[in-house]
Amino acid sequence: MTDEFAAASAAKNGQPLLRMDGVGRTFQMGEVAVVVLTNITLDIRRGEFLALVGPSGSGKTTILNLIGGMDRPSVGSVLYKGRNLADASDRELTRYRREEVGFVFQFYNLVPNLTARENILVSTEIASAPRDADEVLRLVGLEDRAEHFPAQLSGGEQQRVSIARAVAKNPELLLCDEPTGALDFKTGKRVLRLLVDLNRQLGKTVVVITHNAALAEVADRVVHLRSGEISSMEENQNPVAPEEVVW
Amino acid sequence: MVRALNRKLAREICRSKGLLLAITSIIAVGVMCYVAMQSAYLNLSAAKTRYYRMCRMADFWVDVKKVPLAELEALGRIRGVAEYQPRITFPATVDLENVPEPLNGQVISLPDRREPTLNDILLRQGGYFTDRRENEVIVNDAFARARNIYPGQWIHLLLNDRRQELFVVGTAISSEFTYLLGPGTLVPDPETYGVFYVKRTFAEDVFDFDGAANQVVGRLSPELAGESNDTLRSAETLLEPYGVFSVTPLRLQASNQFLSNEIEGLGAIAAVVPTIFLAVAAVVLNVLITRLARQQRVVIGTLKALGYTNGQVFAHFLKFGLSVGVAGGVLGALLGYTASAGMTQVYQHFFQFPDLRSQLHWNTFALGMAVSLVCAIAGSLHGAWSMLQLQPAEAMRPEPPARGGAILLERLTLVWKLFSSGWRLALRSVFRHRVRSAAAVFAAMMGAALLVTGFMMVQSQDYFLDFQFYRTMRSDIDLVLKGSQGREALDEVRQLPGVDHAEPQLMVAGTFEHGPFRRKEAIIGLLPDARLTIPHDAEGRRIPLPRSGLVLSRRMAEILHVRPGDQVSFTPVQEERRTLEATVAQIADSYMGLTIYADIHYLSRLMGEEFAVSGVQLQTDPRPDVLRRLNHELKQLPGVEAISDRQRLVENLTKTLLQNQFVFIGVLVIFAGVIFFGSVVNSSMVNLAERQREVATFRALGYSKWSIGAMFLRESLLTNMTGAVLGLPIGYGLMWLTATAYANDLVRLPVIATPAIWGWALGWAVVFALLAHAVVQWRINTMNYLEALKVKE
Repeated sequence: MTDEFAAASAAKNGQPLLRMDGVGRTFQMGEVAVVVLTNITLDIRRGEFLALVGPSGSGKTTILNLIGGMDRPSVGSVLYKGRNLADASDRELTRYRREEVGFVFQFYNLVPNLTARENILVSTEIASAPRDADEVLRLVGLEDRAEHFPAQLSGGEQQRVSIARAVAKNPELLLCDEPTGALDFKTGKRVLRLLVDLNRQLGKTVVVITHNAALAEVADRVVHLRSGEISSMEENQNPVAPEEVVW
Repeated sequence: MVRALNRKLAREICRSKGLLLAITSIIAVGVMCYVAMQSAYLNLSAAKTRYYRMCRMADFWVDVKKVPLAELEALGRIRGVAEYQPRITFPATVDLENVPEPLNGQVISLPDRREPTLNDILLRQGGYFTDRRENEVIVNDAFARARNIYPGQWIHLLLNDRRQELFVVGTAISSEFTYLLGPGTLVPDPETYGVFYVKRTFAEDVFDFDGAANQVVGRLSPELAGESNDTLRSAETLLEPYGVFSVTPLRLQASNQFLSNEIEGLGAIAAVVPTIFLAVAAVVLNVLITRLARQQRVVIGTLKALGYTNGQVFAHFLKFGLSVGVAGGVLGALLGYTASAGMTQVYQHFFQFPDLRSQLHWNTFALGMAVSLVCAIAGSLHGAWSMLQLQPAEAMRPEPPARGGAILLERLTLVWKLFSSGWRLALRSVFRHRVRSAAAVFAAMMGAALLVTGFMMVQSQDYFLDFQFYRTMRSDIDLVLKGSQGREALDEVRQLPGVDHAEPQLMVAGTFEHGPFRRKEAIIGLLPDARLTIPHDAEGRRIPLPRSGLVLSRRMAEILHVRPGDQVSFTPVQEERRTLEATVAQIADSYMGLTIYADIHYLSRLMGEEFAVSGVQLQTDPRPDVLRRLNHELKQLPGVEAISDRQRLVENLTKTLLQNQFVFIGVLVIFAGVIFFGSVVNSSMVNLAERQREVATFRALGYSKWSIGAMFLRESLLTNMTGAVLGLPIGYGLMWLTATAYANDLVRLPVIATPAIWGWALGWAVVFALLAHAVVQWRINTMNYLEALKVKE
């Protein structure tokens, strides 16, 4: 465990895994152009736990979508391992999402008529080096609920399935959109603990977006967003354990 | 490849099984129609080809008064005539001991010894003629079975005024009489009309035709088939001195014409009807898959976020449609095969084939299946495609709220004010979901068109029967006399017991010519005040016979390109063959044959006689004992060539047509029901699924289940009735096309549309909409409102 932790720390100080450079994003709403992001420049380092914090409408989800290859910037570049996602074709973005990124959604987005295990299979079946579905279920502590359908699971359990689904592909980057947003305090903390463990033990780079500043205390670095711009950024020298977070 | 997704698919199919079943049944009916009709078409076509080859079916028939065989040699030298055979053929009256009424038949001569011959027979029982007796007969199989006649029995025929006793050596069928019709009818009645094959020498003897014939059948050289008209014209010119009654190419031969019409009609319907169903299925499927794709917007976004390619997502939704296509195709093909076996059996009842079999046509299966899949794919494409256009990030966001705002109709304030708020809601919803509403309107249009075509077909048959057999030709019994006779023949018939009323007829066959147009046909001379044959126009008005000139049936007038006032030349088939000029006085409507009427006195004068009679029409006393006595007398009556019991003929025709109508209407209503029901259930359920929250909110506001149901009913009535009304003219058009396609010189279907038809079609549309709404109402009644309210945006 110590070794893993050391490896993760070493990676944090190396080359950035992903670099956003002068990124802007404008949405055309009918005849009105809505500017959602302006001039975002941000490095995401390999193995770090990064929190993007800001009120709703600050552009958090848009950044996450750009990092995740779900959207393209209007201006600027998004470099992942040196490759600009802004120029990537649909096919390349699909490949990127498939191999490099794991998404965790606020509302879990599980396929309603597939069981927990099948929801994970949906993800492993297309990845080139997936983890074993049952192993991932054990990792999130849901081995007993493998054959349950989403409707038969609690919110926390659903979110853990969603995390398991993201991890199962064995991605480099784990992107979490308000992962505790729909959960109660206690369950939220358990989910947070899971994400921290994945970061610390497996060395996954984790990006979490949240409007809840308290959550950011577990992160290595916190980026504050306001009205589509980065308002501040701070290194967190002593991240707290999820169990100690209060909100 | 992607197993978890396939499991998702399987569960979704299970969940929407009701709707999918509705669409599957529409596809299945389409494929069934195709497979059934196409198979029946192939079965009939193959049976026809085989049968014609086996019997060496002739390519033409020439009927003459009497031609010496020696004169026929020149016929063989005509370019295009490959071979020919002379025959002697006459109508006969059949006198069966246990049957009170005289029956009709046709006597045809065959070579005394078995040899290859044109229009050959296929023996079913017994054998060919022997050398033991002159008076041997082979009876056509259907008549023999209907009348229990077996080889070894003796039967009596009235031939050339003499009662002949004939020994039955066998029963047989021939391709020449695949569809065997007695004179003046449309459906075969084997109990009343038979074909009797006798030895050539016997026929020569009985009819005084030593070394002569009155019919020549022949085959054309296949390589000169394109010039058959010239060939036949030459043959006619050659035989003209011997009195040519008619020259009939195979195309116009009655049996062949009915059979070929049926086959062609089947082929055409096999293309049209399934297209209607499959188009409706594709449209309805489109609505469902679009809805499914929209409903799964977030799932699609998630799959894309997970790294699924557009192709994989697309294939997933396509598979949904494909499974419907496969299910519909397989079900339709199986039902179609069963139905084709049934249809083939029905055809066996009307057409006499040696080997009409219901065969499995794999190509038809495969094509039916392929068409079903294409329709399913076409139906799924749009829905699946629309979701691919979305970027994953966009797909994950809930769908933007549906378009709001006023619809066009609202600008017409005066009109808009007339609607209650319930109707306004329905109208807005209909206009805002244009694709879905258009799909529902289209389906209803096709359903109504199908109903209208069917109802019109029935109405048309009824009108036909009434016009032709109750208003135009009203006799109970028709007698055809041997040649033309004087007034005393009529008087003699009037003396018979049970004859209430008798009217003379004079039939004069000949060639009509008008410019380049010519046609062989007979003029029927009637009394000016005839009650038993009354020419009518299409409006049902009696057309009075002019003192001079002719009344032509519309079809004949079209063939000759004449109008009232025009002159036509007419060359009767008489010894002298003097060409006469006659004026076309009026046009009558007739749906059978190419009748031409004239005043019998005028016609007699044209023929150079004072008064001539060649047939008598009778109105008889219906009492059975009187009728029995009349029949007994008729069997003995000399100078009579044929007797037709028109009352029985009409009864048989009516019975057959009505029986078929019953089945036809039943099938049609079920088919149209499948379309209406499937479409209404589908579009209402999709509507309901999309508006669950709205419905739940209405419930929360205190609306009853029934008043919510009424909102949906209004919508389906709006689209359905619009579609049904638009479908009425389409149905009319389909019927008109059918009538035009089927029209020939023998029989034509009138195109009749009464308000009742529109009423029935719209009535059924309402019934089906209500039935389908019952399902929707049930769903509303059982819906969990609290859950629906919780649905997240």
